[in-house]
Amino acid sequence: MAASKTTIWARLLHAVSSVASLVVALLAWEILARAHVVSAFLLPRLSDVLVRIFTDSLSGQLFVDTGLTVWRSLAGFAFAGVFGVLIGLMLTRNWLVRWFFDPILSVGLPAPKIAFLPVFILWFGLFDTAKILMAGFAAIFPVIAASAAGAAGVDKFLVWSARSAGASERQVLGEIILPAALPEILTALQVALPICLIVTIVSEMTMGGDGLGASMLNAARFADSVGVFSGIVEVAITGIVLIKLLELVRRRLLRWHQETQ
Amino acid sequence: MSKQTVAPSGPAEIVVDGVTHTYTPARGRPVKALESISLKVQQGEFLALLGPSGCGKSTLLYLMGGFLPVEQGTITVDGRPVVGPGPDRGIVFQHFALYPWKTVRQNILYGLEKQRLARAEREARADRFIRMVHLSGFDDSYPSQLSGGMKQRVALARTLAMDPAILLMDEPFGALDAQTRSLMQEELLAILANTPKTVVFVTHDVQEALLMADRIAVMSARPGRIKQIVEVDDMGRGSERMRAPTFAAQVERLWGLVRDEALRAQGTEMSGPAEP
Amino acid sequence: MGVINRYFPLVLLVGAWEAASRTGLVDPSVLPSFSSVAIALWHMLIDPDLYHNAAASMVRLIGGLGLAVPVGVALGIGMARSNAVRTIINPLVQAIYPMPKSALIPVMIMWLGLGQAAKIALIFLGCLLPIVLSAYNAARGVDLVLIWSAQNAGASRGELLREIILPAAMPEILAGIRTALALSFVLLVSAEFLMARDGLGYMIAFLGEGGVYNSMFAAVIIVTALGFFADRLYLAFMRRVLVWRE
Repeated sequence: MAASKTTIWARLLHAVSSVASLVVALLAWEILARAHVVSAFLLPRLSDVLVRIFTDSLSGQLFVDTGLTVWRSLAGFAFAGVFGVLIGLMLTRNWLVRWFFDPILSVGLPAPKIAFLPVFILWFGLFDTAKILMAGFAAIFPVIAASAAGAAGVDKFLVWSARSAGASERQVLGEIILPAALPEILTALQVALPICLIVTIVSEMTMGGDGLGASMLNAARFADSVGVFSGIVEVAITGIVLIKLLELVRRRLLRWHQETQ
Repeated sequence: MSKQTVAPSGPAEIVVDGVTHTYTPARGRPVKALESISLKVQQGEFLALLGPSGCGKSTLLYLMGGFLPVEQGTITVDGRPVVGPGPDRGIVFQHFALYPWKTVRQNILYGLEKQRLARAEREARADRFIRMVHLSGFDDSYPSQLSGGMKQRVALARTLAMDPAILLMDEPFGALDAQTRSLMQEELLAILANTPKTVVFVTHDVQEALLMADRIAVMSARPGRIKQIVEVDDMGRGSERMRAPTFAAQVERLWGLVRDEALRAQGTEMSGPAEP
Repeated sequence: MGVINRYFPLVLLVGAWEAASRTGLVDPSVLPSFSSVAIALWHMLIDPDLYHNAAASMVRLIGGLGLAVPVGVALGIGMARSNAVRTIINPLVQAIYPMPKSALIPVMIMWLGLGQAAKIALIFLGCLLPIVLSAYNAARGVDLVLIWSAQNAGASRGELLREIILPAAMPEILAGIRTALALSFVLLVSAEFLMARDGLGYMIAFLGEGGVYNSMFAAVIIVTALGFFADRLYLAFMRRVLVWRE
């Protein structure tokens, strides 16, 4: 029992030290701001920022903005996820699909898809559809690439076993290749989610209206530094929550995989 | 860990006295790897450390090399305590540890550059050792272009080029196929015949130990202790030992010593209830 | 000639585009025909204006990325090799990591206005993290026996860092920089939509607002091509540096 007691202290110390510098940074922020070392315009007080977040949540504005941004990001993510995985899997099964998409992927992956934002605005106007499709378009490329790579890397002996057991082509795809490629696909989805969030925010900033991005840019235009910083905090927290949720989903889906053991 | 420098002046002796080593893995309770190890490696002798997996033989080698800190007991080389790694105790690893971004020649030159030898001397030594391990012509090849046996020869040349007084070898031929292994054993003995060194050679292969060593330290399963030190009969060198009349008997006897420990090591590995 | 075969589907796509425009399948005010875009593209390429804008963009990109690489690599390796550095920097990295870097645009506008510094700072901060992370992972993953071999040869701490850890970590670091390169383009274009008066992103937005759609599409094509060729160039550079890999 004595041994476990020391490790509790060790673990406590470890936990504290892992957030220590963050806490120090936050404290320094508050102190610097109060001491007017930097003008209040450049660095508003942390306490002011927190108060603003609180009042925004009371008025409901916070939830409207966050909700819209999250809705748009997730819709784009769903689009990229579903179609990306489908196309990616198809790439490994059908040589024609592969031949057709290969150069599109090759050019599309490194290109800054956000450059197409004005195109989406032209085609779909200044509303949600444009934002969602823009996010989906930006995120779909890495999903296709990773799904194709994951599916291609599946141990061929697994596939042969299933075939000799009588599985059809479609069954092999859905029941063998998809689960086997799942770790790699999930990794790509974990990359796609932040992409959707980033792109959605930029779209909101460009198009205006509401949403976290739009309100942050508005705040900047009106020199409302408290508003800008509260926006950053809100966006950061939204990002953390979404990423953590996806991590949980991953752990659940990959219960069988050795990485979770 | 500070650098240890020594003037190369012939093989050195190593004295290990009462060394116990415990390590704590990231998760779980501390594990005692070695228990009260005491032994003396004489100048110029070839000592094999033989034992089952997990018995700590590599750990003992790393302690001698100064890669792990000696917490209990002492290890001295020619009377001076070991405080860190250094070119006086050259090490050869099982998986070669070649710098993949350097060519064969550059790998061998590295230790020589660290010793601040003059340019001409460095190049000459590199030439000599490349030739010694029969890799002339591969000076500018990268490790990724070489076979396993060739990689190990580069590793050997790289360490030998530093002219260490002591050679520490961690199952150096374990990653090679059986034929390459035999050839490498011959080559190593031939090199040592020309330039004698004190060698500590870790292996789990009974036959290899008998082919190469002057003395064999048999280690027990974890926590590793020196079970017995066996003097190898005078049977000549290397593969001619296999033709000696007493060879088979010695293999038998040695295996007898190791077998129990090997079984014990297997038991702890699988950590299940003992079979009736 | 394998190149032609590889990219031929794009030709087909372009052909379908042109056909759709000609047959009136698509509204030309929404999707100008490929031929009109091609003509606009040609006019752009011979107009020095394009190159002024491109230069402005590239200065920002190279400035931001060029700062992020040495700082990021130093921080990442520092975190991997020094417990002190890691304890200090790690919580900050964890906090910043999930935040979309584009959220920094309004702050940059406030702090640094609409000048060059604002955009370079944005790209620098945005690209810093992926580079720090890949340098950290790479340095941590250096095979222990390589380090021991070098110590065995008598390498000092500094020599170990420069001559062993850095080269051994190079493949992963270069891969991280490749990601940062793509990210820098995204941040560049985003920034130029919102906080610039020149540059390629600004050009696209300006042409769009002005209703000159064929030129807008041409500009989008130019930016896409730029991102693609930058990546290809970087890959070739990577292969050169990592020539020792099989």
